[in-house]
Amino acid sequence: MPNCINQAAGPSPAGNAVVTKYLHSVVIMIRRGNYVTSDPLQAIDQLPSNPEEISQEISEKLEPSRKYPGALIVVEGIDGSGKSTQLYLLKRWLEINGYRLHFTEWNSSPLVKSATRRGKQRRLLTPTTFSLLHAADFADRCERQIMPLLHSGYLVLADRYIYTAFARDVARHCSPRWLRNLYHFAPVPDITFYFRAPLDVAVKRIMSGRPKLKYYEAGMDLNLSLDRAESFRIFQGRILAQYDEMVESDNFVVMDGTLPVNSLQKQMRQMVKARIDLSRFAPKKSTRRPL
Amino acid sequence: MKTGKTTKSKDGGKIVLAPSGASPRNYGLPLPGIADEEFGGSLIVLEGMDGSGRSTQIALLTEWLESEGFAVETMGLRRSGLVAKDIDALLAENTITRMTLTLMYATDFYDQLEHRIIPALRSDFVVLADRYFYTLIARAGARGIQRDYLNGLYEMALRPDLTFWLNVRPEIAFEREFRKSHTISYWESGRDLSLSDDLFQSFILYQAKIKKEFESLSRRHGFLSLDGEASVISVNNELRKRIAAHLGITRTHYRPSSALAPLWR
Repeated sequence: MPNCINQAAGPSPAGNAVVTKYLHSVVIMIRRGNYVTSDPLQAIDQLPSNPEEISQEISEKLEPSRKYPGALIVVEGIDGSGKSTQLYLLKRWLEINGYRLHFTEWNSSPLVKSATRRGKQRRLLTPTTFSLLHAADFADRCERQIMPLLHSGYLVLADRYIYTAFARDVARHCSPRWLRNLYHFAPVPDITFYFRAPLDVAVKRIMSGRPKLKYYEAGMDLNLSLDRAESFRIFQGRILAQYDEMVESDNFVVMDGTLPVNSLQKQMRQMVKARIDLSRFAPKKSTRRPL
Repeated sequence: MKTGKTTKSKDGGKIVLAPSGASPRNYGLPLPGIADEEFGGSLIVLEGMDGSGRSTQIALLTEWLESEGFAVETMGLRRSGLVAKDIDALLAENTITRMTLTLMYATDFYDQLEHRIIPALRSDFVVLADRYFYTLIARAGARGIQRDYLNGLYEMALRPDLTFWLNVRPEIAFEREFRKSHTISYWESGRDLSLSDDLFQSFILYQAKIKKEFESLSRRHGFLSLDGEASVISVNNELRKRIAAHLGITRTHYRPSSALAPLWR
């Protein structure tokens, strides 16, 4: 049996802290739909009775796993919130300083690409198959890139992560419980930056740069409006609401997307320095080339 | 005949709960965008490893049902319009990992469910499934993916009206398959699991694992287990007896057409 479990089970002055954490966990589990039944008494029966047990169960899903030496930084937000620009600038800063990093983008696995493209072109996708294909794409990147890199001590930067799926797919009426289960294998990020921009600002940014919105991008499959721009707006509004729901339950760091780019980037870099020991990712002496 | 029992209500004091939202037609959740309506039709599943005689029985049952005036639709693994070809390509490459493969198969399954099975049931068809998500759970389970994860993944699947499990010893299945196609597939013998370098050994070990998974699935989902080593005729008689009772067919006599007569042994 691992040491940490023995220590956790041993006599400790945890007291109030444990109870608070327990209750917090219960709230989050209920919110996420883990333990919903039609009968509230049965729901209570389903909860593990030992506070440490539930706290452990929930913290597995809430806190970054420390089973690997790497670290995972994620940006999330609706289209036009500025997240990709900010992650790019963060990446440049880290690269210029020589840190070991890898950048990964949502929906980019070559293995799953052709299926996704075909499904979108022919409009074959339902909310369920749309969600499953993106999960397959993520699984491929997760198993073949993200996890191996985290295990070999890389800083992994992800432009969109599982929260994109949660927000988008719930906006398409997929069940939150089903989605949380679907992505259960994903490592919990060390930091999730949530770029929050008002709907009007974000939509204006997207519409001015991209005159033609794609069918699924605009949420046309949901019959929200026959007008693509209007449909996009409604759909993005729903996604925004879903992101807001997750701020607390998934420990998002909220960034004000209306601030100037450079001041946002400054905040972002400070946060990264404060939360992650970057020296772990510094270039190794042996690999540094002589000047 | 009901096969829908999934939970023992009380087991030594611990209450096992059906997930919220479970209905006679699904395992816990309705599909998004599709109300949990009462579809007509019937969903009948045949499970069993390659060489258990599934395809033969499906061909015979289709003919029998059509001769009785029932419209039949079939489904199987890797037959979706959406991703069947992609899975074929991925399987050929061997670079795919277990979770990705699990999710691609799930995509294939749900695409058929939404675009084939449900429309057919709405039109009062009898859907014959040549394997169902149970095989997908068994395969993924044999590769170490958690049971809870897999049950959750297929929570929106439709509950079949009848599920038959054609039980065959792996040795017999191997021999039948080999006689038929002179080869055994890489995946059907679980070679990705590196159980043995020997094809026959690998097949036997892998199918034993799958069988174990199926035994537990059978307890959970109430499969009707049939002796797949019996003759085609006697397995078919048994299947028709059960299906006739379910569909209210009174005349169960059946003789295959000349096209299918060679199967009738």
